[in-house]
Amino acid sequence: MTLRRSLLAAALTGGLLFTAACSGDDLAKDDDANDDSSGGGKVTLASQSFDEAALVTAMYAEILDDLGYDVETKLVDTRSAYLSEFPGSVDIVPEYVAGLGDQLNTDANGEDAAPISSSDLDATLEAMQPLLDDKGITLLDTSGAASQNAYFVTQAYSDDNGVTKLSDLEGQSITLAAAPDCTGRDDCEAGLIDVYGIDITLLPLGYASPQTYQSVIDGESQLGQTGTLDGTLDDQGLVLLEDDRGIQPAQNLVPAVSSDFLADHPDVEAPLNALMAALDNATLGELIAQVTVDRESPEDVAEKFLEDNGLVD
Amino acid sequence: MTLFGLTWDYLTTASSWTGDGALLDRLVEQLLLTVTALGLALVVALPLALWLGHLGRGGFVAVNVSNMGRAIPTFALLAVLVTADWPGPAYFGPYGRAGLATLIALGLFALPPLVTNAYTAVREVPADVLEAADGMGMSGAQRFWRVELPLALPLVLSGVRLALVQVWATATIAALVAGPGVGAIIVSGFARNHYSEGIGAALVVAVVALLLEIAAASAQRIVRAPVGRRP
Repeated sequence: MTLRRSLLAAALTGGLLFTAACSGDDLAKDDDANDDSSGGGKVTLASQSFDEAALVTAMYAEILDDLGYDVETKLVDTRSAYLSEFPGSVDIVPEYVAGLGDQLNTDANGEDAAPISSSDLDATLEAMQPLLDDKGITLLDTSGAASQNAYFVTQAYSDDNGVTKLSDLEGQSITLAAAPDCTGRDDCEAGLIDVYGIDITLLPLGYASPQTYQSVIDGESQLGQTGTLDGTLDDQGLVLLEDDRGIQPAQNLVPAVSSDFLADHPDVEAPLNALMAALDNATLGELIAQVTVDRESPEDVAEKFLEDNGLVD
Repeated sequence: MTLFGLTWDYLTTASSWTGDGALLDRLVEQLLLTVTALGLALVVALPLALWLGHLGRGGFVAVNVSNMGRAIPTFALLAVLVTADWPGPAYFGPYGRAGLATLIALGLFALPPLVTNAYTAVREVPADVLEAADGMGMSGAQRFWRVELPLALPLVLSGVRLALVQVWATATIAALVAGPGVGAIIVSGFARNHYSEGIGAALVVAVVALLLEIAAASAQRIVRAPVGRRP
């Protein structure tokens, strides 16, 4: 997802600019070793650097390591920073269906191109297939786990106003604390206004950022933006509202693999598909909380989960 | 279309400038923010620095304390102020969300050039001129108002000019705490992959910085002129 912004990430907005400007630079220069035969050799993973992506990437790395690959991982701030080198010097990317589809779409058709994603997973996959073919990317099986935008209120607000789903807010004037890219998005401001009929005032405080939580808890905003996999809400006395009219695109987890790499290394497919099958929102949310709340390392959490579930030896 | 073309389009479209939260709105907010922060810094820095310069002592401490402001990232300071109970992220009149926190952060950011230049300017008044003033029987106050301040003024003003341009360009960080100013358009442009808006707004900030620099330089020249003249 492109929405991840913490206070720290906000501090790095200048850096994002820089990263975007430098996206032509090599993330990995050693792609010469990638033509090794199946079941070994070098593989380069790239993903975004927020905790959730880092955790899922650590799972991929562990599985590939178990298969005998020499794994190199590159975590960067934005999707566009690795997408320019994938496929190429990057071989496998832990992706989100709609996020990847929309980025490929704007890359190919300009920044004003209409989004091709929807809340329908199959329709989204079908719409992005030509773009994937052009680029030389193959998607493996999608997971039941989907990292979507979600909107929360305080438990007290929910109790006092009887609000449990977004449509309960119809017709009301609501201040929303969310990422700056919320403006005009169908899964954010535009969707909340047009589909749910909520009068939204946007405070660009970041995606699930400390500032966003603070703003909702202090009552400055009624609604805050986070993800379906946020395991920190309970402890802060916050609750998610149900997206009962389906404005969230299908952001299911999916392994995106360079088609050339997959043809040479077909053995990566089955274990990654098994990982996708083992993950769902509740499981992944718990694991992410171990990283974000308990401050365990993504590698440790990934290794323990994979061993407990028999996904690696 | 190239990014340059898109940026040009953005800058030449009327709706980019007018309307709620568009460039003109944001420019006015940022000017207000800049002028107020600079004004606050002037009120704090100038009397103190000029007085210390006149006394000829304590300047080392003042210059170094205010120079710490250069070492502390303004955004870090802003983040701390917004997280704190006071001033916090509260709305502050026309300065918008986190207005007070932003004003304090920018005001502190403006201190180093003001303090350093004002103190140094008074200290650097030639010793023989001061001796002459003393020899004429001037009191301390007379010496300050009639000799030191006029001679120090050009350097003091160049400090103000420096601070003005620095604060203007830095005021864009207010956007990172959902505050006012052109930074809001830059942040939102890049966040939404509308690079043309981000770059366009950044260009506007740069051009206005140049205009402010030119205006301040002209003002400086006007003020400087009478110093050489005899009354």
